[in-house]
Amino acid sequence: MYKVFRLALREYVAAVKTKGFIIGLVMLPILMSGSMIAMALLKDQVDIRERNIVVLDETGEFKDMLQEAAEYRNSNQIFDPEDSSQVQPVYRIEFVDVDTAATIIQMGALSDRVRRGEIHAFLHIGSSLVHPSEDPENAYLNYHAESAALDDIRDWLRDPINNHLRRLRLEDAGIDESQIPDLFHWSWVTAKGLLTVDEKGNIIDAGASNEIRAIIVPLVMMMLMFMMSMMGAMPQLSAVMEEKTQRIVEVILGSITPFQFMLGKILGGLAVALTSTLVYVGGGIAFMQHRGFESYIPYDILPWFVINLIVLIFMLGALMTSLGSVANDAKDAQSLSFPAMFPMMIPMFIMIPVLKEPLSTFATVMSLIPPFSPMVMTLRLASPVTIPHWHPWAGLVGVVLFTLLVVWAGARIFRAAILMQGVPLKFSNIMRWMTKG
Amino acid sequence: MDAISLNDITKTFDGFTAVDKLSLKVPEGSIYGFIGPNGSGKTTTIRMIMNIFYPDSGEIEIFGENRHRGHSDQIGYLPEERGLYKKMKVKELLQFYGELKTGRSVRAEIDPWLKKLELSEWANKKVDTLSKGMSQKVQFISAVISKPKLVILDEPFSGLDPVNTNTLLSSILELQKNGATIIFSTHDMATAEKVCDYIFMIHKGKKVLDGTLDEIQNKYGTDTLRIRCESKATGLEAISGVEKVHNFGQIQELRMTPGVDHQKVLKEVMASNTLLSFEMIKPSLHDIFVRIADAKEVSDV
Repeated sequence: MYKVFRLALREYVAAVKTKGFIIGLVMLPILMSGSMIAMALLKDQVDIRERNIVVLDETGEFKDMLQEAAEYRNSNQIFDPEDSSQVQPVYRIEFVDVDTAATIIQMGALSDRVRRGEIHAFLHIGSSLVHPSEDPENAYLNYHAESAALDDIRDWLRDPINNHLRRLRLEDAGIDESQIPDLFHWSWVTAKGLLTVDEKGNIIDAGASNEIRAIIVPLVMMMLMFMMSMMGAMPQLSAVMEEKTQRIVEVILGSITPFQFMLGKILGGLAVALTSTLVYVGGGIAFMQHRGFESYIPYDILPWFVINLIVLIFMLGALMTSLGSVANDAKDAQSLSFPAMFPMMIPMFIMIPVLKEPLSTFATVMSLIPPFSPMVMTLRLASPVTIPHWHPWAGLVGVVLFTLLVVWAGARIFRAAILMQGVPLKFSNIMRWMTKG
Repeated sequence: MDAISLNDITKTFDGFTAVDKLSLKVPEGSIYGFIGPNGSGKTTTIRMIMNIFYPDSGEIEIFGENRHRGHSDQIGYLPEERGLYKKMKVKELLQFYGELKTGRSVRAEIDPWLKKLELSEWANKKVDTLSKGMSQKVQFISAVISKPKLVILDEPFSGLDPVNTNTLLSSILELQKNGATIIFSTHDMATAEKVCDYIFMIHKGKKVLDGTLDEIQNKYGTDTLRIRCESKATGLEAISGVEKVHNFGQIQELRMTPGVDHQKVLKEVMASNTLLSFEMIKPSLHDIFVRIADAKEVSDV
């Protein structure tokens, strides 16, 4: 076993001593969360050019209200409260008479004006919007723009128009708005966890369940697992390929068995991943404690996270080293790396449905399928719901058995392929080496 | 005791028989030369001895014990293709290879070896800064740093200049003096003749020669007439009883068919050339190698 550890130590030192590792340690989370950071940095970068919106109002009820709402917004809501600089665009609402005989032609002309940049958008209010039940087909409220779905103006229009609709309906019903002071008070559904019982039998009220605990923590754990796999297991593919093509492997195999060689490589990669994990998890915990967010740290699932990370890297490491042994050059290694990433990529693809319904049959089954189990089970464990206690254990047993199978098959492939130069990369060859050794 | 005993070992790759029922005994403390044309099975044989390949059939014993029990720690190995971690420093690399072989620190042995092979100045340089010859010497040290009882060197002299070849040869002889058994494969017949106690030749996977140089040469007998003429030798091929002529420019070697009258051949040579000298010699290892490698049929020993 000393020889295995000696090889693992060399792999570890060779990896962590490089500038690439240090840079990667810093850069990887930045790259992975790049879009979120970019969004945060660019959130104040708003185009404040004036927006002209034309309204075709077939009800004739909204002109004054919308112009007043726009004026109020332009006067009070588009400036930075600290330095009074303008941070949002001015909205100008222009009403035009509806040509009832040729509305579609009028809309076509307005669309051309939008395309020419003369106006930003136009709003078409259907004739029965105030009382949809009378004529449902004409109860539409359509916003036409180049990028209507993502346009902030569409969101802004929603509240003034809906509030005005309620007022109009109350008036028609003969009810005085002032008699109902809370008419426009909106209520929000608060997310709360489940109540618990302490050691003395007292019932403890549930804390507020929020997005950080429900989404961010599972996502961060999943991304961390993905990153550690990329650092600890993925490099083995090209490393073994290089050692094979540079004939280093034969020298090493003069001292140790192919299985020991493979094990040493995997342990070296695992040590690299655990070092990075220590840095990220330790740093994350220290940061959250410092900023007063300690309650969000999922201490209870950290052991499962580490266990699943270890088996994941073992499994992927065995896969990568055996695939590296069949590769003849960088091109082979590149083409093999794509299917080899499936155990990491599939959990990423199904992350959202699993997170939304961690107890669904789909999430349960996926978390028990060995190649995906470490990541999907961690995701489920990190979610706010309580999953049955036997699930993580069953997942672990499955993935350990599967990992042993991968190590066994990988070792057979490795032994047969590692000294073969120039043998074409064919699935049939890999299967033959695996079955016949 | 034999350091190595190969008993009827066979190895095939996709239907191609690389080594065919090979048996060989390498006495402890000897220097055994493995020769053979390219692709004859030398490296496959060595890899089976190293336990890198398993034979399909037959048995391998190392120091009297079955190979599968594991004797890697006792065997130093220099593969045909050099394999060094290019980004490691020479000393670190030797330490790593030594520890991987022995499971203990070999720090004390590194400096004397570097000094012996004139590499002390390069101890803390990265491997990728070394010349081919220096890399070769580093690879050699990595094979012997663990003081193995058996040293297997696959083409140790390829790419080395004569000075470095001699340095390496003297190190090999010193290892033997200290009790090690040495096996090396080579295409350099002159070196094999000078250094090896025993020579083994493999051709198309079969053993075709095995024994001391004298034994091998005696098998072929004194069948070669070496001559030196005053001017360019002529008409030698046409002489009856001459099987083959090797013209080396200044001297010519005439291989004679078995049973031919040497005096008669000499007379015929003198009839058309002015001789400065002549002698009857045994065939050189190089000549024997060429005879076997050129032969269409392989008859194993």
